Amino acid sequence: MISDPNIPAAALDLFGDAVDFIFNEQQSQGEQVQVGGLEQVGELAWEQLKVTLYALALSLLIALPAGVALGHMRRGEGLAISIGNAGRAVPELALIALLAAFLDVGMFSLALALCVLGVPPILTNSFVGVRGVDRNAVDAARGMGMTETEIIRKIELPLAVPTIMGGVRTATINIVATATIAPLVGVLTLGDFIISRNVYGDAGVLAGAILVAVMALALELALAGLQRAMTSPGLRLTRT
Amino acid sequence: MPAELVRYENATKLYPGADQPAVEGLSLEVAAGEICVLVGPSGCGKTTAMRMVNRMVEPSAGDVFIGDESVRDRDRARLRREIGYVIQQVGLFPHRTIAENVATVPRLLGWDRERTGARVPELFDLVGLDPGLAGRYPVQLSGGQQQRVGVARALAADPLVMLMDEPFGAIDPINRERLQNEFLRLQAEIKKTVLFVTHDIDEAIKMGDRIAVMRTGGHLAQYATPAELLMAPADGFVEDFVGADRALKRLALMRVRDVDLWEAPLAFPGQSSAEVRQKLDGAEVPHPLLVDADRRPLGWLSERDLARDIVPARAGNSAEPVLDCDDVMRDALADLLRAGSQYAPVVEPPGRVTGVLSVEIISEFLASPDARTDEHSPAERPQ
Amino acid sequence: MTDVALLLAQVEIRDRSGPPSCQQANDFFCPGWVAENYDRYVDPVLQHLVLVGTSVAAGFAIAFALALLAHRIHWLAAPLLAVTGVLYTVPSIAFFFLLLPITGLGRTTAIIALTAFTLQILFRNIVTGLANVPPEVRDAGRGMGLTERQLLWRAELPLALPEIFAGLRIATVSTVALATLAVFVSGGGLGVPIYEQLTFKTNVIFAGGLCIAIAMAFDLALVTAQRAVTPWLRVTT
Repeated sequence: MISDPNIPAAALDLFGDAVDFIFNEQQSQGEQVQVGGLEQVGELAWEQLKVTLYALALSLLIALPAGVALGHMRRGEGLAISIGNAGRAVPELALIALLAAFLDVGMFSLALALCVLGVPPILTNSFVGVRGVDRNAVDAARGMGMTETEIIRKIELPLAVPTIMGGVRTATINIVATATIAPLVGVLTLGDFIISRNVYGDAGVLAGAILVAVMALALELALAGLQRAMTSPGLRLTRT
Repeated sequence: MPAELVRYENATKLYPGADQPAVEGLSLEVAAGEICVLVGPSGCGKTTAMRMVNRMVEPSAGDVFIGDESVRDRDRARLRREIGYVIQQVGLFPHRTIAENVATVPRLLGWDRERTGARVPELFDLVGLDPGLAGRYPVQLSGGQQQRVGVARALAADPLVMLMDEPFGAIDPINRERLQNEFLRLQAEIKKTVLFVTHDIDEAIKMGDRIAVMRTGGHLAQYATPAELLMAPADGFVEDFVGADRALKRLALMRVRDVDLWEAPLAFPGQSSAEVRQKLDGAEVPHPLLVDADRRPLGWLSERDLARDIVPARAGNSAEPVLDCDDVMRDALADLLRAGSQYAPVVEPPGRVTGVLSVEIISEFLASPDARTDEHSPAERPQ
Repeated sequence: MTDVALLLAQVEIRDRSGPPSCQQANDFFCPGWVAENYDRYVDPVLQHLVLVGTSVAAGFAIAFALALLAHRIHWLAAPLLAVTGVLYTVPSIAFFFLLLPITGLGRTTAIIALTAFTLQILFRNIVTGLANVPPEVRDAGRGMGLTERQLLWRAELPLALPEIFAGLRIATVSTVALATLAVFVSGGGLGVPIYEQLTFKTNVIFAGGLCIAIAMAFDLALVTAQRAVTPWLRVTT
């Protein structure tokens, strides 16, 4: 615990230690094990990335078709919106704990639990995004003889990309955040550095925080780039 | 507040990055209490010019005066509170009631609640709004009602000058005409100095005491009364803009009494047919008009009617259409054409024939370059 | 051990661990246990309310100031959005521990991190709300002689209220959920009882349920407040 009055100096010191922790293996404080170093960091980072992508994929699988379908048919607003609202209210800590309480904890069950946080934003945003597509464009497409599926594929989805991707990014942030505390139930992700202070020490804790932050930002940037790539140039021009 | 004159002195507006000025060297004077219509095609700078008066657009060069004070000498917000501003989309505050919207400028000027409370119903009355609407919100009103509120709001603090930018443009044609007429009646009462922008030449002719025709690039092509504009367009552009039917447009400005009517060969019941036939010699109208003792028209006498010795009490052909000497010429022509008649009797109160109007008279009149037209101010003009 | 001794020993063990059947058996949910132990949660709930209330209030104040700035100086909007976006993306728990060396353990650290998290959604919604004011309202307002400041406070902000409230609702509900993590920096809140008995189902369900209930209560309060301040949206045309 930091109670040093000389905070700035101590803080800088600690940041230095943390960086050191990331790159170099060192002696653990409590036990006689080696901790830190790129290998361990890589392992845990990979674990976190895996579970995040897994959960994201599952969430997309569940929420995207449902949201798009409802949005296209312009029905189920109450459902889509209230699921979105409810999802925001779920406390991650309780979710993780309940996961452990009711299921065997493993990659799959964790990903499933994380879906509780990933599904609502994707569902709401796909619904709103697809429904919000200019009706005139849809009517024109229908008039030209496009089937409903074609309309969804060629008109509504491309135009809804920014909104949907917004939902995907929110889902990812939620999932990454919760995956960080997964070590509480035995799935070792980067969050382990943060949670198991007695093993990794203060430097480890800070290192973990830095690493998690970096991963979250990296994923966000990647998704932002993906969104850019997927957004038609015509749409990009009008966005403020 | 009494109305003031508005004067543009070489006003110019050049937007940065544009190669042509929006308004160039505009100089004109609007007399106090007059309606000046700024009209022209899209991009001619009419709205920009209007907005120079309340400094929504700052002139790049030249100046604009209200009375003898330049608008530049005033603080912008204060200046605008003395100028009524009416725009096409109205711009009512959706979150305020109608009464609150109307009271906006009085509130800004610091009027106390009592004064404002008395003024609002007055304004409602002035613009023809049902007082029951005071507590409603703009979304609950129709387009026409909203624009009336817009006008009421602009008049609330009794401004010196009114600026109106296509105020009736978003209204359907029927209500638009109604609003135009009502505004003209209102203007006859309150006599504000008004700058009115429109792209519709017919509206300009109807509403304006003077019309400023502008061409693209912000140049003033002609500044004249409606009659002058129709009779003597300054150049090809104005002529084209006013329209090929400007002759017909002039008819909207006149009444039947304004032209020299043909004399009607009158015939009374019981008169000798021979006498009547004599009258027909050299007359412009080929048929006699049967009238009663008070010279009221009963009908046109046909050849068969005149075959007998005595003029009968009833005529073979109806006198319709019968025109009133105060009828608008345009409507009179329409009546003639609808009935398929070449000519019609014209009566004056209490119904006495004063002459005959024929289509020929009308076309001769339109063709003649120096025909006199009575220049009524728009408020007195036929509607 | 004799049978009787065994039995006695078992009874002893059961007696010693409080309402034993519930915690030991760890069934799905025991209302009885809750009824007897609900006072354990009073303090955490109060702390939770303080955490959320303070964070959202502070977040709103900051976001509001930033939004007004961006309203005046347009090009600031994008960079501000990016900065608040970073604060939003970094998982709160990581944020807590990044702050730790500087602000130490305790409620302050938690509040700073939670406030930072709310900034983006609040900022973005206020800015969007202001941007969505119909241009003719602005034009008419200026033309009538409202100063920029009068226009902002009397016309633009009131008309932006629905958007602003939407942002407040989202921010508040999210913060209620996130505040459970404050336990990791000794910040109090409902995360404390959850973390203390992480495997005890009734506890987790109850505490989690309280959390959700608080979130719904805040949401309802905000919706009601919004309805109250926007009478013009309630009228039938």
